[in-house]
Amino acid sequence: MNKKSDSENPGFTRHGKNDYVANFSPSESEVLINLVQQIIELLGERTDNHSEDPLAAMVGITSHDSPPDDEVLLRLLPNAYSEQVDAAEFRRYTESTLRAKKSAHAISMHADLMDSPDGCIDIDHQGANAWLGAMNDIRLALGVRLKVQSNSYEELEILAPDDPMRGVYAVYSWLGWLQESLIQALMDDAL
Amino acid sequence: MVKLDEATDTKTQEDLKEAINAAFIIDKPWVTIVWDDPVNLMSYVTYVLMELFSFTREKAHELMMQVHTQGKAVVSTGSREEMERDVSRLHEYGLWATLQRADHEL
Repeated sequence: MNKKSDSENPGFTRHGKNDYVANFSPSESEVLINLVQQIIELLGERTDNHSEDPLAAMVGITSHDSPPDDEVLLRLLPNAYSEQVDAAEFRRYTESTLRAKKSAHAISMHADLMDSPDGCIDIDHQGANAWLGAMNDIRLALGVRLKVQSNSYEELEILAPDDPMRGVYAVYSWLGWLQESLIQALMDDAL
Repeated sequence: MVKLDEATDTKTQEDLKEAINAAFIIDKPWVTIVWDDPVNLMSYVTYVLMELFSFTREKAHELMMQVHTQGKAVVSTGSREEMERDVSRLHEYGLWATLQRADHEL
């Protein structure tokens, strides 16, 4: 993930009508696998559930209706209404479905990486959308932790050279670049 | 058989007109709003709007720019159930969206 490989690696490129390809080094694959595993874990059922009703759980109704305490989870599973009563009611009926859909994106990306020990990822439009959703969730999570305030590199400038968050910021920026390459490949398709 | 013109004078005609109008717009009093977010890429917001709402690239770009410069944009209008579905789909792809009554202050 040094600058040299960034400038040489085009990220995702379009090969044919419904075919998107990227090549990752072993260390890049490892970083992606690690990140996507964390998102899968994060999106698992909330541990602050009390006495989950199994029948309600079966039809996707959760016993909790409060927004997540964790800032990252709150960004991944935001309120749908600004009004608290409506937000709680909506969350009660939809949060587990949203978790499942986001998890499905992450699990799809994880499977693509695990199935490609050579680091060559080859996905179709549907797979690309899963990657985009999962990469975006990872960036949202990292963005909250990094307290990203704007789409600029100013945040990195204010971090001390020995700040461990510099590495996290580098990963965050790299993911943004990778996501952008896949969007451009897909947008060519849309033209 | 009821004859409309006999049963209504001018005043009730006006009321009737209003009631009919209300009956037709009552299904579309909710809006879905996408809010600006410092993490989501501009191109990503455009792409998701194209994918989820089948907007043209121009229309999606215009709405994305509105979100970016004004902090928010209404991306769809319809019944409460439809807007809840739209918000859920936007949340699935990580866009920051809420729904509210169309006549509420944005």
